[in-house]
Amino acid sequence: MISRPVPPPVETNALTLLSGDRVLIDRATLAVGAGEVLAVTGGAGAGKSLLLRALAGLPLPGIDQTGSARVDGRRLLIAQGGMLAPRRPLTMQAAEIVGHHLGLDTSASLRRMADALDRLGVPAAARRFDLPPDRLPDGLRWTALFALALAVGPAVLLADAPGAGLDPTVRLRLLHRLADWARGNAVALILAGRPEDGVAGPASRVLALRRGRLLPAPPPLPSPVLVPRTGGTGAPLLSGRGVSVSFALGRTAKGAERRLTAVHETDIDLAEGETVALLGETGSGKAMLARALAHLPAPSGGRVSWMGRDLAAADATGMRRVRRDLQILFPDPAASLDPVQTVGAQLAGILESLRPDIPADRRARRIADALEEAGLRAEIAPRWPATLSAVEAARVGLARALLPEPRALVCDEPAATLSAGERAMFRDDLLGLRDRRRLALLLATEQAGEGLRHADRGLVLLMGRVVESAGAGALLHGARHPLTRAMLAAARGEAPQLDGEAPSALAAPDGCPLRPRCPNARSFCSQAVPALEEIAPGHHVACHYWDTP
Amino acid sequence: MTLGDPDSRNGGRAAAAMAVLAGLALACTVAPLMADGSVIRRHDADPVVAALLDGRGSLSFALLAGLLGAALGLGWAIAASALGQRAERRMMDAANRLLALPLILLVPLAAGLAGGGVGLLAATVAAATAPAVAALAHAELRALMRREFLTAARAAGLSEGTILRRHLIPNARRPLLAAGALALPRALAAESFASLLGLGLPAPVGSWGGSVGLAARLGDGLALAPPALLLAVALWGLCAFAEGLRR
Repeated sequence: MISRPVPPPVETNALTLLSGDRVLIDRATLAVGAGEVLAVTGGAGAGKSLLLRALAGLPLPGIDQTGSARVDGRRLLIAQGGMLAPRRPLTMQAAEIVGHHLGLDTSASLRRMADALDRLGVPAAARRFDLPPDRLPDGLRWTALFALALAVGPAVLLADAPGAGLDPTVRLRLLHRLADWARGNAVALILAGRPEDGVAGPASRVLALRRGRLLPAPPPLPSPVLVPRTGGTGAPLLSGRGVSVSFALGRTAKGAERRLTAVHETDIDLAEGETVALLGETGSGKAMLARALAHLPAPSGGRVSWMGRDLAAADATGMRRVRRDLQILFPDPAASLDPVQTVGAQLAGILESLRPDIPADRRARRIADALEEAGLRAEIAPRWPATLSAVEAARVGLARALLPEPRALVCDEPAATLSAGERAMFRDDLLGLRDRRRLALLLATEQAGEGLRHADRGLVLLMGRVVESAGAGALLHGARHPLTRAMLAAARGEAPQLDGEAPSALAAPDGCPLRPRCPNARSFCSQAVPALEEIAPGHHVACHYWDTP
Repeated sequence: MTLGDPDSRNGGRAAAAMAVLAGLALACTVAPLMADGSVIRRHDADPVVAALLDGRGSLSFALLAGLLGAALGLGWAIAASALGQRAERRMMDAANRLLALPLILLVPLAAGLAGGGVGLLAATVAAATAPAVAALAHAELRALMRREFLTAARAAGLSEGTILRRHLIPNARRPLLAAGALALPRALAAESFASLLGLGLPAPVGSWGGSVGLAARLGDGLALAPPALLLAVALWGLCAFAEGLRR
């Protein structure tokens, strides 16, 4: 028998996309075989969406195409943002789309859709088919979208920024399931996304789009060897005892007050020169806790003290003294600048408030120094915030925090608005500053791997409770809590062993909040919230079955 | 940032609207000079000149009642924001409930029951426009209060008074102005509606609505067109101006 080589379902040869004279994609050549998963990574505006649209046969108007692109069989594009018609019930949309592609009637289409949801691991109870997509939680909406694609059963599936905006744990789990399905059903799957989106994790091959060229992605840099940091000695600078944050939700019919608790009683210490990573998924309360520690606003319960002095008892002058030493980096630096004042005027106002010891004629000098330290030129001072780019805004935010010469920085997802490359540079500068000035850092982030690599200690939060805390090395290599393991797996690009999304704080499950998603859950987990127990010196875990592999 | 912001289409429209309104106001002001300098009797005059003469009444009343309504609405919103959570909720619930009612009917009703008078008319028009201004201004203030730069200012240890003076007021000025400007077209529309029914501005003061009503009753199409057209242009101008301020 002669086996004739089967041509791959997706093949392009010197595919070039032009807009007028500008070359957007330059001679892209790729082939994706059946059952192969290819990841295309690139920063914002690299041309990923253009390439995918060209492959899907849906080029944007005004784009000229040369070279050849051949796609065999039924192809399906999951467009950026994962849009479904927002207000029509999912059932109707599913029936329509599957019916259109396969010529099936409504009940057969819905059966296929239900099968596809099964394969993606959505339990029957979570299938809220009669709801319109905009009423579904984001994770479920994306799952439904992927299930639609599975139900149609294309030969080629193109996914543009799949699961963008989801937590890494949820996104990676979904992407791995999608990739497994593609491999099992001989579907050519192309996942496009930014490098930091983790689309490379489930892929068997990674191509990077850079300056219009599609080239094999450089192998990821070996993660730097963990150097045990020497920081974190001595008495804590900042310490929180029983810190909790909650919001009034009005009253029930019986007149009892309803409160939403975002952070339950939590103890946390930050020593001089120490870096503590505060990890958690969206809605875990890490940002709330970080801000409560900086009294922005003050926590609803518990006590925060700075060098042994209770912040709640401090008067205005005392509080200014503390704020001089304890500064904060905001997640959206551009929004944290007053739009109607120039950068210089804002910095001068801060200096005047926090450093009255610097005479007025020396302020300009100090501002220029701080800007330089943050990697900016002093010429940025007379500019308006609206004219700053994202990188400049982030660095102005850093300069503002450095201005009073603080001893500790609270960083709430710093530079979350930057792309991967810019963020890495920003992070390196921040860490350099930390080492030069012996700054203590409290780093709230959802990027577990990245956060821990640069920290001395890590705390993992789940629905407002610390579920694991240990030294960074112990967490990286010997995490015991299922959530920590899932977050680290997602950071490595592997499939996290957790199902579904974090529940809403308004409908928290009984017992352990991770119970509905946890692979180790047993009936006892629903009975009690696990308490934090010490399993090794300095290593605390809150899980009933932490010793179960 | 300025009104004539070249990169925003809305800003361009606001500038155009301002120019149209200024031209209209100027034309209405110099209209008596166009009427041969003799005693001005509107029904003898050229219909266009007569409409311009009416414009003096309509526009100045809209300005008076609109400013009153804007002040009332802005005061309402600012008081609600300043008085604490419970008062805020009550006051804004009231504004939103009033907003759902056809308050414009209040104007001819009050004039019919209490018998005309510019003062009464201005007061009812102001009361009818205030809830809309209050609701919009309050929404803008709430959005402003949640902005991150206020948190950043607190992190810099500024006192609440300094934050109010240095950050809140400069940033609130423009959205509040835009919310207040919303009262002007509403006041003009309310007055024109009442005048159309013959329950608006009292006799010696002309008004576009009154002239349209009169011409419609007499079946005089030629006399109806100019005031109706000028009213439409003025309403568009005021609306576009308010919209342009909101950006």
